[in-house]
Amino acid sequence: MFKGLDYYDIDKDLNPQSRLVRDTVRDFVEREFIPKVREHYRAGSFPTELIPLMAELGLFGANLTGYELPGLDETSYGLMMQELERGDSGLRSFVSVQGALVMYPIHRFGSEAQKKRWLPPLAHGKAIGCFGLTEPDFGSDPGGMITKAVADGDGYVVSGVKMWITNGSLADVAVVWAKLDGVVRGFLVERGTPGFSANEVTGKMSLRASITSELVLTDARVPKENLLPDAVGLKAALACLNQARYGIAWGAIGAAMACFEEALNYTLERKTFGRAVAGYQLTQEKLVDMATRITTGQLLALQLARLKEEGRLRPAQVSMAKRNNVAMALEVARTTRAMLGANGISDEYQSMRHMCNLESVSTYEGTHDIHTLIIGKDLTGIDALDR
Amino acid sequence: MKLLVCVKQVPDLESRFKPDPSGQWYSETDLAFRINEYDDYAVEQAVRLREQLGDAAELTVLSVGPDRVVEVLKKALAMGCDRAVHVQDPAPHLKDPWQIASIIAAYARSQQYDLIFTGFQSQDRGSAQIGPTIAELLGYACTTTLVGFSFADGVVTATRELEGGLKGVVKMKLPALVTCQLGLNVPRYPTLPNIMKAKKKELETVPVANLLQEETRIATESFYAPEKKGGGMVLEGDVTELVNRVYAILKEKTPALRQ
Repeated sequence: MFKGLDYYDIDKDLNPQSRLVRDTVRDFVEREFIPKVREHYRAGSFPTELIPLMAELGLFGANLTGYELPGLDETSYGLMMQELERGDSGLRSFVSVQGALVMYPIHRFGSEAQKKRWLPPLAHGKAIGCFGLTEPDFGSDPGGMITKAVADGDGYVVSGVKMWITNGSLADVAVVWAKLDGVVRGFLVERGTPGFSANEVTGKMSLRASITSELVLTDARVPKENLLPDAVGLKAALACLNQARYGIAWGAIGAAMACFEEALNYTLERKTFGRAVAGYQLTQEKLVDMATRITTGQLLALQLARLKEEGRLRPAQVSMAKRNNVAMALEVARTTRAMLGANGISDEYQSMRHMCNLESVSTYEGTHDIHTLIIGKDLTGIDALDR
Repeated sequence: MKLLVCVKQVPDLESRFKPDPSGQWYSETDLAFRINEYDDYAVEQAVRLREQLGDAAELTVLSVGPDRVVEVLKKALAMGCDRAVHVQDPAPHLKDPWQIASIIAAYARSQQYDLIFTGFQSQDRGSAQIGPTIAELLGYACTTTLVGFSFADGVVTATRELEGGLKGVVKMKLPALVTCQLGLNVPRYPTLPNIMKAKKKELETVPVANLLQEETRIATESFYAPEKKGGGMVLEGDVTELVNRVYAILKEKTPALRQ
């Protein structure tokens, strides 16, 4: 059984609920997901057969309250994300999108009718959602989006293209962001809407056990009741991203711990020049750096959870944790890959899969550089993106 | 109908065990604890019976141990037990199975349970005495190593695992105690919503001194890892002979080829 790394004895400070949540998700990942991940990663598919069990466990929208949702505290929610991403970033992405990017906006910005209609099936895995903000030519600069909605009779006509959309081809409902009279608004676009289609992105060398799609809207008619009434302005979309980034800050620790465990076990077993690789100073320095950086990431995430729980979390603080922890995990994965030598390139081991995944995780939900500029602006008061 | 399931928290068996300074038990440093595997089957079976009986039944989960055992109690509550009893004992490993069984029996006697579930043994001490001893102390019918269970019209029908791959079926009237074995069921996951709901369930705390009336009868003298033996066995010969010998060894030494 995976044990993770707990160098600073943080475990004892967690409450029993949080540990139980973590252990439940850890057992699920170990028993149900790990045995399948290689096959799905090779095939470029997501294990959709696990969706009913994930729903039964209560993984979707777990930190939301009401509508029979679990209402998990933020530390437990973070630990859940950590354990999911210890399995694979694609698994965590699936849960992040469903909860933080689909259920959260409906929960926060939706009408009562929208909440009643969508939150139960999304929580039960009977409906899958996706989030369409990024466009082919507008990634870091979502405000420049071209997708447009025009009021027309008792609804809206939406046109545009959304790109790099996790779960796009699986989704029953897409939260699509489009400009209505120049203001960014959120729309619930349902599968089967005439003029709306999703095409799977192929040729990915990262997040292969996850479905990524392009959404195409060509005069797609969206009924009036599918406009999220309180999602007004780009800040509404960014509020969703903030939720997802919070989960990523925790998730990255899981991927890093999986790699660290692999590096430690491998170098203890593997012998070179007559002794265990772990006995060499160069190896020990790498292991020490990894353990220190993982522990730093854990403390960052834990304090972030406290801030979020108490409602005094600022977006730039989330940026700092996402930026640091993903860069940390990517570095740990790359180092592990190298420490495993030739074996490191094989999918018999997990570090190269995590490494490839983390390239995406470093890019999506605000690239490493964009988070640098968010924190830079927060520290200096000067927006480096102002022209 | 009143149901009780007894659970123990044990270390992850994949851990590296070291003797503690007293040399009588293992050191708990760096160990991760979880529910004893066989007790997990006991909880699952008890919860299934509780669901079968509906609100006509109440299911209590009990554990003896230090504060950390609250975690396994919470897990059992999240799996579907109604209430939990924590018999607080900072050092249960210093008590022998007779004392532990007496402690549980003393609590159970006051509650008049109809049916008690336990694992057939713990993964760490492995004495397999607790269940039968509780039954004996309470004067309950008892059957062990269950791989099948059903309950109807006040009668327990239990399938037991016998040596050599055989099975037997027994029937018992209540009150009774059963001990559970691998193969009985597949324990459910405690789901996130149920973990949250379990926070509101009753958790009674009883100091062990209130229940302990018996002296220890067995004292552990020492705890140690066996000396490391030399390398493995090397077999030589032609393939057919090798296959037969490997097959015989696997059959004798491992459960892999038993049906």
